Amino acid sequence: MPQLGETVAEGVVTRWYKQVGDKVAADEMLFDVETDKVSTEIPAPVSGVLTEILVPEGATAKVGVRLAVISEGKGEAGSIKPAAAAPAAAASTVSAERAAVSAARGVDSVEGVRLSPAVRRLFAEHQLTPVDVRGSGRDGRITRDDVIAFVAARGVSVPRATTAPVGDVRQKLNAVRKRTADHMLQTWRNVPHVIQAVEVDYHRIEQARREHKLTYLPFIAYATAIALQRFPLLNASFEGEDLVVHGRVNIGIAVDLNFEGLLVPVVKDVPGKPLLQLAREMNDLAQRARARQLKPDEVKQGTYTLSNSGVYGTLFTGALINEPQVAILSTDSVRKKPVVIEGPDGDSIAVRPVGVLAQSFDHRAIDGAYSGAFLRELKTILETNDWTQALTA
Amino acid sequence: MSTTARKNAATPAPEVGSETRLELYRLQLELRYCEKRAYDLFLQNLIKGTSHLSLGQEAIAAGFGVAMRPDDYTFCTYRGHAHTLARGASMTGVLGELMGRQCGLLGGKGGSMHLTDVAHGVMGSYAIIGAHLPIAAGAAWSAQYRGTQQAAVCFFGDGTTNIGAFHEALNFSVVWKLPVVYVCENNLYMEYTPISSVTAVEHPAADRASAYGLPSIVVDGNDADAVYLEASRALAKARAGGGPTLIEAMTYRHSGHSRADPGKYRPPGELDAWLKRDPVPFYRQRLIEHGVDERTLKSMEDEAMGKVEQATANAKASALPSVDDIEKNLWSDGGVAWRN
Amino acid sequence: MAELTYRDAVAAGIAQEMERDQNVVFLGEDVAHAGGVFKATVGLIERFGPLRVRDCPISEQAIIGAAMGAAMTGLRPIAEIMFSDFFAVCWDMIANEIAKARYMTNGQMAMPLVIRTANGGGSRFGAQHSQSVENWAMMIPGLKVVAPAFPADVKGLLAAAVRDPDPVIFFEQKSLYSLKGEVPDGEYVDELGKAKVLRHGKDCTIVALAAMVHRALEAAEVLEREHGISCTVVDVRSLVPLDTQTILSEVAKTGRLVTVEENPRLCGWGAEIASIVADECFWELDGPIIRITTPHVPLPSADLLEDHTMPSAERIVRELRAKLD
Repeated sequence: MPQLGETVAEGVVTRWYKQVGDKVAADEMLFDVETDKVSTEIPAPVSGVLTEILVPEGATAKVGVRLAVISEGKGEAGSIKPAAAAPAAAASTVSAERAAVSAARGVDSVEGVRLSPAVRRLFAEHQLTPVDVRGSGRDGRITRDDVIAFVAARGVSVPRATTAPVGDVRQKLNAVRKRTADHMLQTWRNVPHVIQAVEVDYHRIEQARREHKLTYLPFIAYATAIALQRFPLLNASFEGEDLVVHGRVNIGIAVDLNFEGLLVPVVKDVPGKPLLQLAREMNDLAQRARARQLKPDEVKQGTYTLSNSGVYGTLFTGALINEPQVAILSTDSVRKKPVVIEGPDGDSIAVRPVGVLAQSFDHRAIDGAYSGAFLRELKTILETNDWTQALTA
Repeated sequence: MSTTARKNAATPAPEVGSETRLELYRLQLELRYCEKRAYDLFLQNLIKGTSHLSLGQEAIAAGFGVAMRPDDYTFCTYRGHAHTLARGASMTGVLGELMGRQCGLLGGKGGSMHLTDVAHGVMGSYAIIGAHLPIAAGAAWSAQYRGTQQAAVCFFGDGTTNIGAFHEALNFSVVWKLPVVYVCENNLYMEYTPISSVTAVEHPAADRASAYGLPSIVVDGNDADAVYLEASRALAKARAGGGPTLIEAMTYRHSGHSRADPGKYRPPGELDAWLKRDPVPFYRQRLIEHGVDERTLKSMEDEAMGKVEQATANAKASALPSVDDIEKNLWSDGGVAWRN
Repeated sequence: MAELTYRDAVAAGIAQEMERDQNVVFLGEDVAHAGGVFKATVGLIERFGPLRVRDCPISEQAIIGAAMGAAMTGLRPIAEIMFSDFFAVCWDMIANEIAKARYMTNGQMAMPLVIRTANGGGSRFGAQHSQSVENWAMMIPGLKVVAPAFPADVKGLLAAAVRDPDPVIFFEQKSLYSLKGEVPDGEYVDELGKAKVLRHGKDCTIVALAAMVHRALEAAEVLEREHGISCTVVDVRSLVPLDTQTILSEVAKTGRLVTVEENPRLCGWGAEIASIVADECFWELDGPIIRITTPHVPLPSADLLEDHTMPSAERIVRELRAKLD
């Protein structure tokens, strides 16, 4: 089953154009797939004989599941029984990538989708594929402006199929969404959440980070790790009735999957990591999370979580704790604000980049004073650490 | 004022003073010894690339070197070590440049063929045949415009007389009456070819002078006194607003065109005949005839040799240029930037 | 402000500098008593005398060589080469001597000179009197290269060139000599190495030089009015030093680079800019770089042929309509 857009988890085979035993030529139409976003024809990736159909018409299959077998080997022409399909023979399954490109072809034009450097860059920056954006250029080409417009519009509404129905739409939650929903409900029921926040002046970080083109997040992760070492009860998980205070500080970074769920890859052993290395690791994990290329142990053993809502310009977020952990920190948007600077000759106003950090903590584990003290420590580290030094370490 | 080639007689020229003579000898010694040292260093592979030696032609550079004013301008060819030294440029600077060292006159950026010492009036050595003749005219024009009575002296070989720039420069200089002296060092060979086989006239420079309304002047280029006197006349004429002079100085080079050339194209016996007229021993003899004693001569020779030894040691001790110098001094601001 | 023709702006620029600095002198063929074959230097000998404004024989090597000799010994000469095609006659002086003197002598030799020349086609003079050879100079390290499109730029950039302590090759486009434009009164000095954005658009960035600037502007007007295509037009003005920053930032805004070059195709100045953009602006490009040049032939002389060979506004419109989205 091809990956027809990142947000789709399964599809329905609505029609087979070939039967078992038929000769198939590469690029000849092989079957139709329907998802809740799009319906498209999928061509055969190779020439050969269709020796097996594993998912019949009308059946649903999850992305990546084998649908059919085409034998390229010197098979007997004509009479091939499905059961006799030899797995050892040269065979191919429909690959996700090729099908995605084919699907894109099928969307707008017969020719291959040609992406300019600017469009490719924007796609990479915003985790988009050709199927996501309609091209308004010559011959249906996706232009730079198309992508820019798409991204801008996406901030306002959820990116969906181009056919927007008029009335109500009943949607079943997909597997990822269902799993998330259950988890969130359980957390809400079990954990007494208290939300507490501080406002941080990022101006020292600002000077240091521009040079290396980093976001705020690695700095916050770096500082959080230090603060957690001083306030270890926040770096803990509940196991039954027991509070397990962890020795390692493994920070999970919540990554949004295009509004279709979250993954939380974990950076292990953050204290002591040089800042640039930490930034690189965080970046790498986030990219692979979006591409669904994380290894299983990369989403395990987290002891604390960061949730970054700031990209959307939010002021303040009270995030849901990532059970069984006892706390989560939401990093909200940094923006320039007038702040009062107290000086020896009186108060003055300066323009500083300022943002809110809001911690949700489990009141079973700790009290407000402890959390408050942790936040004060975190703020102090962020505002006074020698970041230039940290970047050259 | 026309003279024919002087015979090689040991007849003293009355107008050259005794102090001047000593100066002429001293200079010829330095030029000879330094050029020989350059040859040796080349054999030792301390001087790379190519080197054009003027051994045997010292009297011309020396004769003019003594006659010129310190603020006059010299333009010479890629065979210009002697002409550069003759204006007082540092020997360390010259040998250093040949050896590609930091102490070189050009910091290793120009090499043997482009020796320049603006502070001593050496306004470049030129590797493209004939290019510097119009440039010398321009320097002379500048002097004329500024009214300083400076003069420009331009040295070139016999082969240059057949290239376009020679003719343009001469016509131009005569028409504008520029204070420039053009000195053709006729060493009988244009690179590997006898000049006579490629030139329409016998004296490649002197026989063209009339085409530009100039008198034909040929001088014995191996007699420093003769050269000195001719030079003084031409410079005086230039300073007085009399315009340019074209002088053909007959000489011979002892080595090949360049290091790569063993000079096998010369007829047998020719080199030997000219070696007998080697300007340096010739002039030594003249000084003796003028009563200069052996001790003085010897001490002059030792002193010249000593300078060469010192310069050699200095140059050898000098560091190689830094690769940072590659991107320096394209523009007057010291940089090389072509964009923002 | 005064309205001057391009040719009068040349004389005005030279006069301004000669007035200011006694060391500025001017030489060339037919430049003094005749006021120049294009009448671009009329009035100078009358004003500054025959010692400072000099007629020369037909001796390009001597003219340029003399300029070099004068520049290295304290003067600031302006030398004229009547037609830029004649650079080929004295190219040794320009490429081998002037361009390299300072570098080879490690900074000893000063070379504050200007060589001005009438460049380009459009005048039916035939192949040997119509070439656009800015690229000949651009590619030699040690030469600054300027090519103004407007009378104001002629005066201002010529003044800047004279004041520049390095050798500057000043390309006047001969078919622009009659062009009128506003020129500031009084002392006016522009700056080398600065391009000018003459028009802002969003669909492509046209980078043009000299006579092609006017055609690009004309084409941009038609494209906007009749075809809804909006173009930025950048007048490069100075090839060396090159205002890379302006060009890159303007290309980044639109995502498309178009060059309009009067020279024949191979190794024109636009090729270098295309290469810089492909290197430093690659991830902003939304489509292939477009070079609009004369085809790779000498310029034919008949008016119909010459007009068709050089890039016209109409050809620019046609090509951009065909190649932009």
